[in-house]
Parts: sequence; structure tokens; C-alpha cells
Amino acid sequence: MSKKNVKRFGLLLTVCFIFTILLTGCGGGGTEQGSEAGKEKVLVIGYDRDAEILDTIKTAWYSDALIYIHDRLVSRDYDFGYQPGLAEKWDTSEDGLTWRFYLVKNAKFHNGDPVTAEDVKWTFDTILDPDTGSPFRGDLAAIDRVEIVDEHTVDIILKYPFPNLLFVISNTAGGIHPANAYETYGDDYGTKVVIGSGPYKLVEWIQGDKIVLEKNEEYDWNPDWMEHQGAPLIDKLVFRTVPDENTRMMEVEVGGIHLLRDVPTTYVDKFEENDDLIVHRGPSTRLGYLAYATDKEPFNNVLVRRAINHAINRDEIVEYVLRGIGGPAYGYLPPLLKDEYLEETEDLAYRYDPEKAKELLEEAGYPNGFKAVLSSDNSTLNSRMAEVYQNMLKEVGIDTEIRLYDSASYTGMLREGKQELFVREYSWPNADILDWFLLSDQFPYPNHSRWVDEKTDELIKSAAQSPTWEERAKGYKEVQRYLIDQAVWCPVYIPEKIMVARKEVLNFKFHPWMLMFQDGFDIAVE
Amino acid sequence: MLKYAIKRIILAIPVIISMTIIVFLILHLAPGEPIDLIVGPNVTPEVYESIRHKYGLDQPLIVQYFKFLGNLFRLDFGDSILQQRPVSRLILERLPVTLKLGIAGFILSVIIAIPLGILAAVNRNTIIDYTCMTGAMLGMSLPTFWFGLLLLYFFAYRMRIFPISGYGTWKHLVLPAFALGLTDAAVTARMMRSSMLEVLGQDYVRTARSKGLAEKVVIYQHALKNALIPIVTLLGMRLGWIIGGSVVLETIFSIPGLGRLMIDSIHSRDYPVVQGSMIVLTSAIILGNIIADILYAVIDPRIKFD
Repeated sequence: MSKKNVKRFGLLLTVCFIFTILLTGCGGGGTEQGSEAGKEKVLVIGYDRDAEILDTIKTAWYSDALIYIHDRLVSRDYDFGYQPGLAEKWDTSEDGLTWRFYLVKNAKFHNGDPVTAEDVKWTFDTILDPDTGSPFRGDLAAIDRVEIVDEHTVDIILKYPFPNLLFVISNTAGGIHPANAYETYGDDYGTKVVIGSGPYKLVEWIQGDKIVLEKNEEYDWNPDWMEHQGAPLIDKLVFRTVPDENTRMMEVEVGGIHLLRDVPTTYVDKFEENDDLIVHRGPSTRLGYLAYATDKEPFNNVLVRRAINHAINRDEIVEYVLRGIGGPAYGYLPPLLKDEYLEETEDLAYRYDPEKAKELLEEAGYPNGFKAVLSSDNSTLNSRMAEVYQNMLKEVGIDTEIRLYDSASYTGMLREGKQELFVREYSWPNADILDWFLLSDQFPYPNHSRWVDEKTDELIKSAAQSPTWEERAKGYKEVQRYLIDQAVWCPVYIPEKIMVARKEVLNFKFHPWMLMFQDGFDIAVE
Repeated sequence: MLKYAIKRIILAIPVIISMTIIVFLILHLAPGEPIDLIVGPNVTPEVYESIRHKYGLDQPLIVQYFKFLGNLFRLDFGDSILQQRPVSRLILERLPVTLKLGIAGFILSVIIAIPLGILAAVNRNTIIDYTCMTGAMLGMSLPTFWFGLLLLYFFAYRMRIFPISGYGTWKHLVLPAFALGLTDAAVTARMMRSSMLEVLGQDYVRTARSKGLAEKVVIYQHALKNALIPIVTLLGMRLGWIIGGSVVLETIFSIPGLGRLMIDSIHSRDYPVVQGSMIVLTSAIILGNIIADILYAVIDPRIKFD
């Protein structure tokens, strides 16, 4: 190696070194919670996954940031009650087909334009346009058209009575956008620009890293039910993506994150002992269940399905797997849905009774049990559940082989219909979850338990299309009674919702579905 | 040299095309579709099919592949199905982050490995040699992600010297760059040691010593130059791994780089993004190899370009 070449090598190294220094020196704007913040009140919330696109119309993976960027016609209070939002009131025609919404007059979008009936019409028309490819279109299938009555009044006209309209339009997906947003902002809409009329505005989105929102100083159209009125107290909300669970939990302990909305039960004891952290727990809308392909032998036999229900010791699962943070489930909806939840679920329940399970299996023609495949996704909780189910089923003679899948493969497998027994969990605050999972026109997916049954279709459709909310609730109770009788699933547990906040987070109000940061949440600044 | 480089680049094209076929097949044969993640669970079969149609996923696989290949020749990687933006834009946003981490790790590994290798070779079979090489052996056997977690636990969680995760300042880069650099350094240090030992046993080194030159001069002026030749080749090849090496670390340290993009897209079956980032990764490795070959010939005059 000549001297010249050594020099060249040295030069290469030096160039690389300088390049690195330059690269690392030219970093981004620093951390929000650190020096940049000063006296600014910044709240950092941690998530395992980032948004795909910040557009409620085009995604089904709604980042929480969208809750605060947009207002919806209807809001939901801490008890899941429907309350005014952008609409200060609404009324329904006698036939239940026309819903008239009266908009608040002072609401403005982040671009300064007033919120009008035209914006509401544009938002819903865009979702309903098949060319948009909106995943939300199915939820709005009951809507025939949207008509502008005057600048601040809009009619939603339905094809058939649909009392659940209030729920659907109060979801994140019901966020109102300014008319012609796509034409005005082009391809940047949903990535660099998102315009709503909500309490927070988008500042920046660094994909895979964080979404930063700042408070909308002009916001004073909060619904009356909120304790706090006017602009939010916290200046900035930062939605940070930290995909690794361990890292995310460590971040909240050291203060890099102030709030975590979903904490695994394994961390609860540790966090409760930490003086810097406050663990908030409450009822959730999650339900874990063991499902089976009801169109395949032997699961097409109701006796076998009932036997499986009797074979699972729910109390033990709650105590040992959920560490007591949750409760057993015997029905198909979480009790938190107080209007629709069937009160006599407990009385109708298939309690843990392995002897009864064996008897039922014998009666069904399986005196020696049978063999089956038990599938699950590879998440920590579900793969553990699969092992526990395997042991419990073995006790009554059902011999299972566990197969684990990553989540996309799992969905693919269910869609292809290869499942026998399988582990599932849902999280949803409305009885319409039963429509998605059990109506025959949802076969083969999301009707993954492959339940094609005329009576179920009839009961669900008549409940969903009831003229009033009360009749709808009554109808869904009937649905649940029938599902329990048929043992369509084996409901197992309802975990508690566990959130953890650092002690700096003030006025924390627990909500099982979404947090209302605009409702007086605050953060202490040192 | 230019002719040689061009020839190598042309030869790389079939490699890239074969890679696209393999990646395309593996991705599409795996169960699951990106549409499931776009639409969520509450979708009617009709909406589902209409979205599949929108992204051309209802077409035969072979048609999808040739469409993709046709676009590729125009340097168009297509649009991400989930993020609904051009893949090239997504990659360009993420690439600088990964490069920054990769280059920092690479430089750290060079700075650590070369002196360590020399030290071990010069003090062959002494306690210094054994310590250095045991360290290197450990570095080679420890998985990068585990080492990263250890660094994170001690320096960020326990001592709170560095931030645990995130991206933006030089402080965010220190721990992942060390995790990447130290494991990489282990291989280079072992290579450096054996290369140095080989050179130290050669006649011209003996001649230099017999001339009465100081040991320092013998090692640094005479032996080192030749011992570095294989190292340069090795480092050239590692250049390609600057992009591919940090995939797991980016998840642990929440760094929004290309590796994270790739992993997330594999999980969500976002085919165009996986294909696009795999092409970038393969090209980087091929480019690294070409650079290594060229450097080799530039440094060692005995090697000619054919």
C-alpha cells in the first residue's frame, strides 16, 4: 500500500467523520419536553403505532390526534351519552328517516373559514362516494343523501330508520372537513395539512416519530356538558410513536412520555409503586373470547359449543392471566354499554363445569372428545390465552394443537376460512359490533366464526333498523339472548382499561374510549 | 476504472430483478392483505372489494408483477397502499435518518476496531490479546438488539444520561450508534488482528526490524499499510449494511428510519413499500460491494481491473 493510498484512505475516513458530525449536528428541532418547551405546557402521549394517513375519510386506523383536530356533529360524554358537538341540537322526523342538525354559528375551521352546512354535506358526500374508497362508507350505508337547509342547518336523510346514526357520526371518522379540502390542499391533505375545527391544530407530523398539535386559541364552541369552556389549557399535544413495548414503558417512567393509554397488566404493580406515576383503571369496552368455525364439524353442533363454554374456567383466567384486572365475560357485549347490555346474562351463563362439558360432548356423539387446531395471533396476551385454553379444553377431552400467526397472516387465514378454534378479542363501544361479526352478509370475513343463521340476521336487522334508540336497545338484548342460547362464541373475559399518567398531568378524567384533553386537562410545568 | 464500475452496475440489474421476483412472491404468498388494515374489521364485503380493485389487488399476480416492473423502469415504486403516498417520497423521508445512524455506527466501529486489532496482534498471546479478542468474541455473539436494550437500560433508564428513544438531536443517536458500531467493530477487530499477524510474519517486516527501526515505526509505517488492505475491502462491503444493519435497532430506539418503515410495511403487507425499500437496500449492498472492489484495486496496485 503506497503512501498515496494511505493518504487516500485517511482522507476517506476524515470525510466520513465530518459527514457524520454534520449529519448529527443538523438534527431536528429537539425535544418538546426539554429546552424548547420553556414555559409552554406540552403533554406527550405514547403509542405503539403511528397513523398511516391523517385523514378520517381515507383510513380505518384513526390516530387519536384526529379526535382533537376535528369536531363532530355529535359528541359523547364520559357515560357514552350523546351530546351536542358542532350541532347544538338535532331532531328526528316521526318516521325516523330525516335527521335535522342545527350547527353552532360561531365555529371556525383552522383556516379561518366558518363551519357551514356545505362542509357537513361535502364531508358525508365524499365518504359515500365509492370513488373515494372510504372504509367508513359501510358505516354510513343507511344514509340516502345529505341536504342543506340553510347555512347552519343540514338534513341527513336515511334509507331506513337507523337510530345508531348518532354513534356513527360521533366517531373519529365523523370528523367534519372543510368543503373541497381535496381540491384546495391537493396531495398534502392528510400528511402536511389537515383542517378541522377542533380544539387543536396540526403543527407537524414526522412519520414514524410524532404528531405535534397546538391549541386552537379561538376555540370557544365547546359543548355545554364539558366542565371546561374555551381554549384548552395545554399548549401542545405530542403523539409519540414508540413501537417497542419495553421502551414505551421505560419512557413513561423517566418522563419522556406523560401518558400511556394502554398499559399491559404485567406493569400495573410496578407502576403503582412508582410515586411519579398514577395508574388510572376503569371498565373497558374490550371483550376476549374463544371462537370456532360454526360451519365445520364438530362446531356446527350446539352441544359441542355449549360444552366448550362449560370447559373454560373464566375466574381462573381473570385471576392468573389478567392478574385480577378485569372480570369474566358470559355475554357478547361489555356491560359498559348500559342501554344494550342484557342484564340477565349472568343468569343465562354457561358456568365452569367440566363434568357437564363432558356430558354434553358425550351427548353430541364425542364421548372421547376430539382433536382440533387452536389458532391465535402472536400477541403476548392472545398467545398466552391460547395456551390456557388448550389446557382447559384438554381436561374435557378436546385435544388442540396451537398455531400462531402474525397479525396480517392471522386475518388472511380467517378470511380464507382455515380456522377451527381461534382466539379473538374486540374493543368497540357499540352493539353494532354484532352486525359486523355475525350477519350472514359479512361472511366469510369479518364474520370469522362463519355463523350464517337466518334468525340471527332477522333479529339483528330488526334491532339495527328500529325507529328509536330504546327499541334498538331492546332488539339487541333479544339478539344477545339468542346468541347465548346458541353458544355462537365462548365469551371469556373483559379486561379493565389501564392508563398511566405522570403526576404532572392534572385534572385527569378517565374515559374508556377517548380522552378529552380540551376538557380542562392540564400539566404542571416546572 | 469507470468502465469496470459501469460493467459492475449493469451486472447488478439482473440481481435486482431476481430480488424483486423473490420479494414479490414471498409477500404475495403470505396470507393477509393490506386492505384488511385500511378498512379495519367493520367493512362490508362490497367496500372491501371496491378498495381491492382500486389498488389493483384483484388482478392476477403476474399482471401485478409486470405492472410493478414496468413502473420500476421509470423509477416509480408506486404508491403506498396504507399511507396513500408515493413510495419514493416515503423512502426519501426515511433514508437520511437511517444513513445518519448507519454512518455514525460505521465510523465508531472503525475507530474502535482498528486500534483494538493492532493492539491484540502486537501483543499476541498476552493478556491484552486475550482481553481484546474475548471482547470481540462477545461483541460478535451478542445480538445487536439485545446489546441495544442493555445500553438503553443502563445509560438511558438507570443513569438517565441519554434519551431512551426518539430522534432529533445528537444525543438520540449516541446509544443506537454505539449498539450498531460495537457489534460491527467486533468482526473488524478480529479481521484486523489476523491480517496484522500475517503481515508481521513477513520478510520485509523482519528486514525492517533488522535494520534497527523502532518497533513503532515497523508497525505503523511498514506493517499497518499492508495489513489494512483486507480491512478496506471488508469495510467497503459493510457500507451496504449501513442501510440494512439498523432495522431492529430502529424499532427499539423508536427511530423513524427506513428499517422501521420496512418492518411496519411487512407487518401490514404494504407491498409497494416493502418492494421499494428492498430495492434500495439491495442496491446499497451491491454498491458497497462495487466500492469495495474498486477500493481494493486502487489501494493494491497488484490487482487490476478486468
